[in-house]
Amino acid sequence: MSKARIRLPSTAKKGEVIEIKSLVNHAMESGQRKDSAGNPIPRKIINKMTCSFNGKEVMNATLHPGISANPYISFFVKVEESGTFEFAWTEDDGNVIKETAQITVG
Amino acid sequence: MHTSKRSIIHAVRSGAVMSALAGLALAGLPDSAAAKEAKFEKVPMTTEGSAGPTPWERYKGWNKATWDTYNSLTERKRTPPPPGEGQVRKIATPIEGNAENGKKLAFDRSRGGGCLACHVMGPETAELPGNVGVDLSEVGAAGHDDTYLFNYIWDPRAYNPESVMPPWGAHGFYTEEEVRDMVAFLKTLKTPAVFKNALDDPEKRPIPVEDRDWQDPFVNPAAEAFDTGKDVFAKAGANGKSCASCHEDANALKGWAVGMPKWHAGMKKVIGIEEFVARHAKATMDTDMLMQSADNITLSVYLRSLSNGMPIKVDTESKQAKAIMKEAETLMTTKVGQLNFACVDCHSPEKGALKWIRGQYLGESAGQIPHFPVWRTSRNETWDIRKRLQWCNVQVRANELPPDAPEYGVLEYYLTAQSNGMEMESPGIRH
Repeated sequence: MSKARIRLPSTAKKGEVIEIKSLVNHAMESGQRKDSAGNPIPRKIINKMTCSFNGKEVMNATLHPGISANPYISFFVKVEESGTFEFAWTEDDGNVIKETAQITVG
Repeated sequence: MHTSKRSIIHAVRSGAVMSALAGLALAGLPDSAAAKEAKFEKVPMTTEGSAGPTPWERYKGWNKATWDTYNSLTERKRTPPPPGEGQVRKIATPIEGNAENGKKLAFDRSRGGGCLACHVMGPETAELPGNVGVDLSEVGAAGHDDTYLFNYIWDPRAYNPESVMPPWGAHGFYTEEEVRDMVAFLKTLKTPAVFKNALDDPEKRPIPVEDRDWQDPFVNPAAEAFDTGKDVFAKAGANGKSCASCHEDANALKGWAVGMPKWHAGMKKVIGIEEFVARHAKATMDTDMLMQSADNITLSVYLRSLSNGMPIKVDTESKQAKAIMKEAETLMTTKVGQLNFACVDCHSPEKGALKWIRGQYLGESAGQIPHFPVWRTSRNETWDIRKRLQWCNVQVRANELPPDAPEYGVLEYYLTAQSNGMEMESPGIRH
């Protein structure tokens, strides 16, 4: 159900600082809401996002219930070599949404 | 004539000789538009029942009030008649109300909108006044008598039957006492407005330009439907079939959306894309894809997006199209709701359109359709045109209709015709 989008340049110069934009479809159900029958809707959010480059973590973020649906996170990374970014969003129930993106440095 | 058309639909459903019947259906129809209409009626659609949730219930989080004593687009004879010209309410003069309270009421947005929504009101005008109405900054020095000022607020139609200003007293927004206080305030207004910020002056405020990249899901969340729409298109319904079972190549539907909505003679109503999706999905996939459901909107956006860049082209020439346009003009000029607005009051350039209502710029009705359904940044939702029309109704304090109401179909047809020739840009993004 959850769909992740990544945007980053396909090529970069060695040592360049690039911007990575990420967007993941997620309801980010806060646990504070009630359904039409008045019962609390259980919390289900993405509580953690990480980004690794060639196996080494370059960014992580802890997300809280106040973050809106479809969290959009952008950040900057200095790239020294070609490789693969691996993104992972962890949901409250332990499910992990994954996405990858390539970059060529040269 | 109606009987024969009905029997044709029935025959087609039961699989009778289609070509002979198609010839029969076309025989009496003079133009190609009518031929297209006949073709539209052969598309499998569940014609019975509502295409939306039943019974209709207003969206969560919207104003819960109902306005049963005022017109809606279906009940057009509820609003009390306007006063005749010169038929003013007699009041004791001179009016010596509480000007301070009058100012408070005039500047308060919580009841009806406040005078500032449409009028500039002197040097103390709060931020972002509108200019649908005249500048009242010097109204206290204009030589109006108290009866005139009182009645212009109470019910302006006593002086100007064409006024778009709501009858604030006659429709129960303000008590006589409160209107007297507002008159007392108006009498204190004798000096032109001074704006601290150029943006506060509605005559100089720049017209908003929407130039965001609506096709980028990072910018416009509704554009997610370019992808998620494909998933809905491929998702099996209750009978195991999906859209893709029959429409193997979705791109074959390119150009379909620019000819919608269409008149359906069998149902005797205008069918827009969202209603079509609901009725077609029910008939072919045995699946409820009701109007205003997430799948319906996603699929409708996707189907429209296949025609992006193509000019909108609904029939305006056939006899039926002309009849729809005529009915639409009636609806566009029907005063509805406690605020007593007709569509044209705010959305025709001859009246309120292309002016400011408080901080919002009133668009004209022409040119709105290409960007629907639209992501509303203020609501965090994708809205189709029907929901937008419902919102308009509730904002003017008129009971909204269900999304598949024939009246909304007629309005959608008219609005689409007003956008004929413009390129489809769906989904858009707006405030």
